[in-house]
Amino acid sequence: MSGTNQFEPKIVAFVCNWCTYLGADLAGTARLEYPVNVRIIRLPCTGRIDTNLVVKAFEIGADAVLVSGCHPGDCHYSAGNYHARRRWMLFRGLLDVVGFETRRLHFTWISAAEGRKFQQVIAEITEQTRALGPYLPYETQAAAAPPNGTALHPNAPGQDFAGASQELRATARRLLEEGKVKVVIGHGASGPVFITRPEDSDRLEWNENSLANLTVYLKRPEVRALGAAAVVVKGCDERALVVLQQESQFRREDLQVIGVACEGLGQPKCEACDTHRPRFADQTISSAAAQNAAPADGRYAELERFLEKPREERLAYWSAEFDRCLKCYACRQICPMCYCERCLADKNRPQAIDTSPHRKGNFAWHLSRAIHLAGRCVSCDECTRACPAGIDLRLLNLALARAAETQFGYRAGMDPAVEPVVGAYSLQDKEDFIR
Amino acid sequence: MSHRISRDDLRKRAGEWIAAGKAVAGPVQVKPGTVLYAPLASTEALLLDGWIRPANSIKEFVFPRHEALYAYRIDGAGITLDDLPAEMPEQIIIGAHPCDAAALPILDKLFNWDPRDDFFNRRREATTVITVACTAHDEQCFCTSVGLSPAAERGSDVLLVDAGGGGYNVRCLTEKGAALFGAAVDSVVHDNSSPAAAEIDAGPKRRFDPEAVAVFAKEHFEDPFWREHALGCVGCGACAYTCPVCHCFDIVDEGNPRGGVRARNWDACQIALFTLHSSGHNPRPAQGARQRQRIYHKFFMYPEKFGETLCTGCGNCARNCPVGLGVLPLVSEICHAESV
Repeated sequence: MSGTNQFEPKIVAFVCNWCTYLGADLAGTARLEYPVNVRIIRLPCTGRIDTNLVVKAFEIGADAVLVSGCHPGDCHYSAGNYHARRRWMLFRGLLDVVGFETRRLHFTWISAAEGRKFQQVIAEITEQTRALGPYLPYETQAAAAPPNGTALHPNAPGQDFAGASQELRATARRLLEEGKVKVVIGHGASGPVFITRPEDSDRLEWNENSLANLTVYLKRPEVRALGAAAVVVKGCDERALVVLQQESQFRREDLQVIGVACEGLGQPKCEACDTHRPRFADQTISSAAAQNAAPADGRYAELERFLEKPREERLAYWSAEFDRCLKCYACRQICPMCYCERCLADKNRPQAIDTSPHRKGNFAWHLSRAIHLAGRCVSCDECTRACPAGIDLRLLNLALARAAETQFGYRAGMDPAVEPVVGAYSLQDKEDFIR
Repeated sequence: MSHRISRDDLRKRAGEWIAAGKAVAGPVQVKPGTVLYAPLASTEALLLDGWIRPANSIKEFVFPRHEALYAYRIDGAGITLDDLPAEMPEQIIIGAHPCDAAALPILDKLFNWDPRDDFFNRRREATTVITVACTAHDEQCFCTSVGLSPAAERGSDVLLVDAGGGGYNVRCLTEKGAALFGAAVDSVVHDNSSPAAAEIDAGPKRRFDPEAVAVFAKEHFEDPFWREHALGCVGCGACAYTCPVCHCFDIVDEGNPRGGVRARNWDACQIALFTLHSSGHNPRPAQGARQRQRIYHKFFMYPEKFGETLCTGCGNCARNCPVGLGVLPLVSEICHAESV
């Protein structure tokens, strides 16, 4: 390299085999000069480029990453680039919240004929990255100091739960006696209970501790083995059922759904809730006070307040949050949407995500967890409640929910008839961030 | 003779230790509703009252959740192993609870059995524990059921007992503790001494007999009880990772083809991957077997091997469990099952 001490950035380019790789090849055969800073990694299609690969590239020393594929309409596999485009739209929303410098991440469409565009793009990115300076990994960032002595959280507001409890017990007893179900999954005095005999129905409770989203048990083999089930859901829990149904995780006709109209059980879980009343349950235990009205300052007020902070402050905030992560995976285990038989985090050939609970491993884990829930998370907030370290996972989920709503007008779990946002695409998806 | 210290003087003294470059840690409210033992940059954040106990435990300071053991390099000549800097700075934990402090001598046995664990021992030696006797307990506390009490001295270097009027009586229990307070050792700690009756009365009601749990676990290994009572378990590690005495770990290599580090990370028996063989076989195939293992290890295996119950009654498992399980809820069911 040159004799000066100029910073030479490392740029990793994930390119598709059919367009951009050939464009780069053409740049070479045409003897077009471009900076040597780029390392090209060829993949079949941009649709194959997992967000985790981008995280990994930065982890092992990239200063900038380029993702490049075929122009819209040119994909060798018809629609891989459309799927990729939608995924990147959501991923950028997530990176923004965690304070990642999004100017280090570039997207282009470069065809096999555009050798000159490849040359220009690489030259531009190299210059821009040189101006930004080296990428500082998450683990080297300063973490925010923890706040001092704010007041402890108040308990959930007192409500009269006795009537709803009675109704729940009667419903469960009836379903079991009629033989419609073998098990009723409900809330007990201090946690979930699995009622298999009508005479045990009195163990069911509805109270301020009925926070759990019981639809998580539909994935557990031990519970499935009990036979046909009825499940008690709040409005938020029911949205999870809608997503699971869309994703063919159960057949609606095989499940009895007992809805409970819920006035809100605790803060911050229920703060921005607008689905207090279940909408698709087979029977709903009603409460006049529980109405599905939009929260006064919007669903994303907490996120918007957070996004007012400068990027560096957001980065410091998440560094401190991720430092507390123990990798106990309570966030994953409590989530009804995390039903993969083998999680990416548990795969070690190759090791996609460091299993260590250090900041690097935690950053990769939380980004992966969140992006896998993009357009699927129903904001039941169970992950945040389950976290023993008090990490605000809610904000990551909200960032993706907001991206899905503002860019695609989509909210997860609202309507089983609507096509899911991830796994689908539209020719009209915005691509103002793609060169 | 023990002497008194006011809360303000205690803070002042902790501030001096920090200023002297010692690593000081204690309970901190990291955000509304979450109190954790964490390193202190100043004593302002130190929380001495107004909560039951932190959601984590002090084991973290002697057995960190992630610890690099050594580095390795791979080149044409083969593999070279490099020791990592072994310096363990002196650290002081202030405001520990008796149920946390008591965990340390329990862990000593495991980490000095076969082989002796240098990493643990070095940290242990560099650590001084200043415990504050509990004045409050909640429905998940059960120290008195496992032979401890709200003012148990075990594992502490100094025990501070609330003396009213914003002060503590200082009981220096070891040379290390006495040195910090510039005092003499007040009394010799009898490692397995039973707490005095008055201390037990001030604590949570005695809920169960650990030996009865051991007998149940031994006699009901293949009982449907475990499957039935583990149905709610979602299989995370929140209980084990916040437990003062759970100590299972995983060894991983992290690096690239040219080298990296071998590290030790916490692991937990409730996570399905914990026992999964590379063949695909899992000897603990379902959550019932995993919950049984947790109780079995704490109340039968560890006592049999080391003469200690592997539980200090802190109640963290139940407080941190998102679905209301944990040692006390499960043991209560065992006692219930036994009495009918």
